[in-house]
This record gives sequence, structure tokens and C-alpha cells, in this order.
Amino acid sequence: MIGFVDYAWLVPLVPALCFVIVGLIGHKTPEKGGYIAIFGALFAFVMSALVAYDYYTSEAYKLGEAVIIGPIEWLNIGGYTVNFGVYIDSLACIMMLFASFISTMIFVYSIGYMGDQGEKKRRYYAEVSLFLTGMLGLAVSSNFLEMFVFWEVMGLCSYLLIGFWSYTHHEGDAASINAASAAKKAFLVTRAGDVCLMAGLFVLLYAFGSMDYATVFANAQQVYAQDPTLVNIGILLMFGGVIGKSAQFPLHDWLPDAMAGPTTVSALIHAATMVKAGVYLVARSYPLFVTSSDAMLFVAAIGGITAIYTASMALNNMNIKRVLAYSTLSQLGYMILALGAGAYLISMGMDMGGETGQTLITLGTMGYAAGILHMINHAFFKALLFLCSGSVIHATGTEDMRKMGGLRKTMPITAYTMLVGSLSIAGIPILSGFWSKDLVLEAAFAPFDNGLGAGSAFCILFILGMITAFMTAFYMFRMWFLTFTGEPRGHCHGESPKTMTVPLMILGVFAAFIGLIVLADFSYFIIQSLAPGLADALAANGLYLGFHDSMHILEEIFTNVWTYVAIVLAVVGIFIAYRMYVKRPYVAEDFDQTKKGFLYRLVANRYYFPQLYNQISWKLGYGVAKGVDIFDRNVIDGTVNGLSNAVVGSGEGLGQAQTGYVRDYAAYVVVGVLVIIAVVLLMVSYGGGF
Amino acid sequence: MIGMEFFLVFAAILFAIGLYGILSSKRGLVTLMSIELMLNAANINFITFASYSGNAAGQVFVIMTIAVAAAEVAVGIALMLNAYKINKTTEVDELSTMRW
Repeated sequence: MIGFVDYAWLVPLVPALCFVIVGLIGHKTPEKGGYIAIFGALFAFVMSALVAYDYYTSEAYKLGEAVIIGPIEWLNIGGYTVNFGVYIDSLACIMMLFASFISTMIFVYSIGYMGDQGEKKRRYYAEVSLFLTGMLGLAVSSNFLEMFVFWEVMGLCSYLLIGFWSYTHHEGDAASINAASAAKKAFLVTRAGDVCLMAGLFVLLYAFGSMDYATVFANAQQVYAQDPTLVNIGILLMFGGVIGKSAQFPLHDWLPDAMAGPTTVSALIHAATMVKAGVYLVARSYPLFVTSSDAMLFVAAIGGITAIYTASMALNNMNIKRVLAYSTLSQLGYMILALGAGAYLISMGMDMGGETGQTLITLGTMGYAAGILHMINHAFFKALLFLCSGSVIHATGTEDMRKMGGLRKTMPITAYTMLVGSLSIAGIPILSGFWSKDLVLEAAFAPFDNGLGAGSAFCILFILGMITAFMTAFYMFRMWFLTFTGEPRGHCHGESPKTMTVPLMILGVFAAFIGLIVLADFSYFIIQSLAPGLADALAANGLYLGFHDSMHILEEIFTNVWTYVAIVLAVVGIFIAYRMYVKRPYVAEDFDQTKKGFLYRLVANRYYFPQLYNQISWKLGYGVAKGVDIFDRNVIDGTVNGLSNAVVGSGEGLGQAQTGYVRDYAAYVVVGVLVIIAVVLLMVSYGGGF
Repeated sequence: MIGMEFFLVFAAILFAIGLYGILSSKRGLVTLMSIELMLNAANINFITFASYSGNAAGQVFVIMTIAVAAAEVAVGIALMLNAYKINKTTEVDELSTMRW
């Protein structure tokens, strides 16, 4: 039977066509192609919804299989075949749904936000369409190479869009640079990760002889048993790509600078596309990743470190967008932490087997679900928060929170939708963020709780996660209070137009309640995407893909003491922000970043990470360049110049012999003849003839 | 019969005078005359050897040389005339402007 699922390839194709159309004739259409881009995104969303529904009701879903369409042979090189196909499972459905929905909202919002950009709008709408194509293509790819192509499409688009406004743009943050440099930085830093990813894909191709998800996942356990080192290297290299794309420590530094782009682009990068691609890759490669528990400990550790490290930088930043950027980094850390911990649990569970093993696997799948759920929740509340900040920036003309304040009265819709987003991200109960954050922390705590080998390491990660939860609540409300309460400290021309506030309200509703899907069928739905790779391997050990149903999750969340600790921490964070930024009157020195203590300056300067990057690139890159330059100038140029100088010099020297005096020439002839005669005579007298 | 060496020494002296004339004189016409002297020294050698060996080939060469010398002098004199028209002098040292 042919259903919508067989036309899933239309999902990335239509935005791609919109990119072409807007790029070619966008300037002749109203809003310079804006409506075409919105149509593309909306079509992608409707199509994704139909595909998702079709898949949800299909036989394949019930059996725990993915629907693979195609594949068309793409490359056939040296015995390896690379296909181009579409791979639809629950994970792909979820990615398509939220990416296209949020993109639709952002594109609609752009009509208002980018309204004054004139001819440049064509470029903007073409590039965002391509960006969306990249993300949707990534979601439906059926093999790693195809995924990598779309991965790189997004890399290109992020470069183009971050550099959209190529002038200096750094209000309220000392450590930032202009948009062109930010774009270059984003491109180069993610490139460092992409090189790792590409190397990882080569390792995969060598180990598995194929790039297809289906083949790789089905053989993951077997190949790992044969050559664990090879697979470990492959996994870690692939994770290097994730570190770059999802901006994990230590390649996180491009994301704050990426704020130089338009706010809508930031929303797109942070919520719908780009950084979610890294998390998606981890989730997608789960059947492969669970083979190696050691690598998963590393993944979780990177996630945990990123979460707290980047949250600390949001604590004192004065730029409204950058606070949100650090918050994204921190939340991405949460996702990676949950996915890493979940994979670690599954991996340990498979090794142990039996009753305990089954418990661990069930907890592990919960970690997986937590990571995905947090990704979805984060997509909604971060899109909302960014669009709210865009609305504020639109109204005040600045990104510096020191020049805002008291905006609650002039722009109430923005203020209250942003409050919803902030409450959600802070983890206030029954809002989206609460559910996913709690599950993430629970997954991080589970290895310790079950007394596994690396339990103590996970305990530390769990504590870091808890502190991060506190920091999150504090910096989000610091931002909200600074922006919307108190006395106005700058001008503001009122609430934004309807095209901007309506998406905000829609996203506000979603940001508040999307997390409740966890109480529906979510865990089961998402775990079906693990089945093609893991179900058989587990069955061989007498295990199965267990999952926590919604009642179990509810029970677990509300009987766990840590849940209440997290809630208290969040409330305390909000309260401290309230005491610091609402109760106390503002003093000018509060905002003077130069007169603060060492710790303050350390954080404000992003732990001097940009300087470290610069030092490395200057000392290393410039040193190498300098050495090459010296070699070039002295050795290569020296040889060439020396040769030419020798020829010219000897020519000029010989030229001196041409005096122009006939008698001189005659004298040369005479001398020459005399020499010849002398030689001939010598030869005759001593050599005895010729 | 006069010995061959007289002719050869005479030719050598003639040649040396011509060579000296070329190397020492700045004047173009003297240079041309010196060249004629040297050519004729060579001619005397040719004839001497032809006469003493009874071979006519040397005399044939002399006829050739005289013809070539006449042509050469014609060209040389023409060059000198033109040089004189331009420089108002026939001194060969004045004709050094075409060097590097």
C-alpha cells in the first residue's frame, strides 16, 4: 500500500525548491520571497505530520521497524555502494515535525522582524529555506554519508546567515567580535568537528563495509565483538563531529559569537536546526554507540561539563541574546548527558544480562527518551525565548540589557510569553522543561544509584547537572527581571507587530505544554526507533527493549527526593535573581564590568577561551605560516632570484667587453689567434701532433 | 733564384705593419688600408707557395682574394662615407654609440 510515508522525500525537497525559487526570482515576489519560504516550511510541516501519522498507524511501527524508501544507488566505488534513500522511524518523524513547525513560526516572525531589510530579504529567505532543507534532509537520510551531505549544507547556511549583517555588533559583551569574523569562526570551528566526523565515517565504512543505517545498526554488536578498538575509535571520532556541531566543550565558543546574526537566525540555529543535528546524530547512532560503555562515559562527561561550564558564563552577561546562547549550550549539554548516560546504562545492561541487566536497559531507554524529550522541549522554549528577545531588540534597538528595563508595561505579550519560556526552562513543575530536565537528571543519577563501575563519575555529573539547574533558573530570571521589570533605562517603541506576536503566543503554548507528551505514548514511540538496531541483539541475550510507561514516569518523578531538590533549587535561583535585580535599586557600578573581581572577569571573558583559540591559532597557525613564509622567501625565492641574478649579472659583465671600439675587437681577434697558435704549437711540440 | 724565405719574411713584415695599423690608428681610412696590407701579405704567401711548389691553385686563390678585397673595400669606403656624412669625421672611435 502506498501511503504518505512513501512521499517523505517531499519533506526536504519542497524547501529546497523554495530555496531555488526565492534565490532566482524572490525579488519579484511580495516580501522578497518570504511567503514562498513560509509556504515551503508549512508544506514541510504538513507533510511531516502526514508522514508521521502514516508511520504511526503502519505495520512497521508496530513491529519496531523503520520504513526505508528507495534506496537509489548513488556511488559505487571499489566494491562499496553508497545509496540515497529515505529512512523513516519515530526519531525521524519527531525531528521533521518540530524542525518544520518551529521553522514555520520563525519564518512568519521574520516577516515582521526582517521587514526593514529591503533587497537583502531575498538572500535571507533563500538561505533559511536551504537551512531548513539541510535539517529535514538530515532527519530523513538513510545512511551516514547522505546525512553528512545535509550536515554540511547546514554548516554552509550557518556561515552565510551568521554573517548576514557584516558589521560590528557586540552590545553588552566585551568578548565578542563582528559578524563576518563570527561567521568565519562558526564555520572553522565546526569544521574541526566535521573533519573528525568524516574520519569516523571512514572508520565505519572500513569496519562495516557500508554506510547504511540498517546495515551498521544490525551488525554493530557483532563487529564490536570482533574489533572493539576500531569501533571505539569510530564512535569517538563521530562524537567529535557532534562536539563541533552541537557546540560542546571544547568547541563551544562559536555559538555565543554566532549571536552576531539576525535574532531569527539565532532562533533557527538554536531551536530548529544546526545544533540539534549533533544531538540527533548521537540519538540516531544509538545502536552503534551502546556497544561501547567507555565511549559513552566520555560522551556523558562532555555533556555534563558543557552544561555547567557554559551556564556559568550566562550568569553575568549583559547581552540578552548571549545569555540565551549560553543557555542553549548548557541545555545541549543536558541532552548529551542524558543520551550518554542512557547509552552507558544500556551498554552495561547488555553486558550483565538477567534481571539487573533488564532494569538497566529500561533505565537506559528512559535516558534516551529524556534526551530526545529535552531536545523537543528545548526547541520550543528556546525558539520562543529567542523570538521574544528578537521582539525586545526590535523595539529597543539594542541587545544590551543595561539599556532595557521596565518593558513589561510597553510590550506585555512579549514579556509574558518570555516569562512562560523562562519558567519552562527553569524547570517549574508541569511546564515542559520540568519533565525533561528531571528525566535527564534521573538518567544521569541512575548509574550511581545502581552501583555501576563508573557510578561515582556519573554522581559528579549528576551534581553538576543539579547546580546547572539552579544556575539556569537564576540567569533566566536575571535576564527577565533586567529586561522587563524596574524603571525603563532606555527608549522603546512599543509592542511588536502581529506577525511577530502571534508566533510568540503559539510557541508559548507549545513551550508550556509540549513536555506533557511524556505522559502520553512518548517513551514507547521514541524507543521504537531503537528497535531495528537493538531488538535482535537484546533478544540474543534474553533481554528486550523495556521502557517506562507514563504512569511509571509520573510515579518515579514525584516519589524521588531529587525532584523536589531540583524544584527548590530552581525556586531559590529565581528568588536570588529577584533579590539581586528587583529588590535592590540599580547602581551604575553594578553594570561596570571592569571593576569586578577576578571570578567575574573570568566568566565575562568566557574563561579566556576566545583568547586561547586565538593564541593557538596565532602561535601555531601563524608560526607555521611564518616558517613557511621564511622558507618561501629565502629558499625558494632565493634560488629563483639567485639564478636570474647570476644570468643577468654575467650578461652585464660580458656586456662590458662590447666597448664599441673597432681596435678593441681587432685586439681580441689577434689575442685569440695568438692563443690558438700557441696551443697548436704546444700540441705539436709536446704531444707529437694532433 | 731568390730564396723563399725572403718572400715570406717580406709578407710577414707587410702583415705586421697592417696589424699595427689596425691596432694603433683611430682613422677609418687607415684601418681600411691596413686591412688591404694584411690581405696582400696573405696574397704574397699564396703566390710564393704556388710558385715554389708548381701548383696553380694558389694563384687562383689570389685572384679570388683580389676580387673579394675589391668588393670589401667598396663596402668599407661606402660605410666610411656615410659615417663622415653623419659625424663629420672618419674616426672609428666615434662610431661606438651602438654598444650596450
